[in-house]
Amino acid sequence: MHEITATQNILSIALSEARRVGAARIARVSVKVGEWSTFEPDCIRFYFRVLARGTPAEDAEVAVEVAPVKYACEGCGLEYTPVEGRFCCPRCSGARGTVVSGREIYVESIEVQHADTGDSESPGRK
Amino acid sequence: MQIPVIQKVLAANDLISEELRAQFEKAGLLVVNLMGSPGAGKTSLVERTLEHLRKLKIGVIEGDVATSLDADRIARFGVPVVQINTGGACHLDAAMVRKALGSLDVSELDILLIENVGNLICPAQFDLGEACKAVVCSLPEGDDKVLKYPAIFSLVSAVVLNKLDLLDRLNFNLPDFRRHMAELNPDAALMELSCLTGEGFDRWIEWLELGARNAREFGGGSQSPARCRE
Repeated sequence: MHEITATQNILSIALSEARRVGAARIARVSVKVGEWSTFEPDCIRFYFRVLARGTPAEDAEVAVEVAPVKYACEGCGLEYTPVEGRFCCPRCSGARGTVVSGREIYVESIEVQHADTGDSESPGRK
Repeated sequence: MQIPVIQKVLAANDLISEELRAQFEKAGLLVVNLMGSPGAGKTSLVERTLEHLRKLKIGVIEGDVATSLDADRIARFGVPVVQINTGGACHLDAAMVRKALGSLDVSELDILLIENVGNLICPAQFDLGEACKAVVCSLPEGDDKVLKYPAIFSLVSAVVLNKLDLLDRLNFNLPDFRRHMAELNPDAALMELSCLTGEGFDRWIEWLELGARNAREFGGGSQSPARCRE
């Protein structure tokens, strides 16, 4: 349930960016969520729908990309994703590694529409 | 039109926790964030610590969804204690700790123990400005918890395995638990003890004393030797 705070922050970040560029509507909010971030994508999407009501982000799609856990081995430098509870380095069996990805949660980008065009100008849609 | 943003969602918490960390370092005290499931024995650990470690000044922040039951237990020891009620929230955040510090003079303390809300998931994500994060878990929870909750066990500098007195009555595989910890987080100090019988408690006390000494001499921040690594 702690996703509600995070989602409130996601919405605030998106709205303030939209305001900054003078956009009328937010079409999409892209969020990166680490596998070990403790935040659940479905919860974020659900809370977003509730919290965004009556704001320019009301109909925005929330695109959540899950970043897998990645370790960097301190012994041999290999970057790897642990599988099935095996956290040691698959190359040198070293147990000392740093988590370089998988704990993060950040807003990557937003896609906005200006009032005059009425349509998204995302490069993907042209 | 796509606009790149790249803004951390928890930036507000990180900002406050860094502020707290600077304050703790300046005051030269050791701050430990105690996390773990409900019933693992976090409050019992704090109580036994207050009994055993009388020569150091210890303050306590108790985090719970509701009630002041834990703070009442701690207040009996005559130490400064503040209860935070999160009112439903599943973890403490830095703003709550900052508010609690309004009723706690950290410059008077050698150690501040922050008992988080009983939960093995959410507290992992919220930095409180502490020098050390520790998980308290117990034998009845099972020997597979490290594998099931790697996000939190990979993050801590100490694991307290409590209720060791139950070892001969449960099918808890201690070598398996040790192996999982050694593979996931070999730098964490693993302390097996019983708050009930006192078995193994000396190591926990030594760990705290070492951390408090480091914090006093070098400051208690995460970049300093006060991280309590052995």
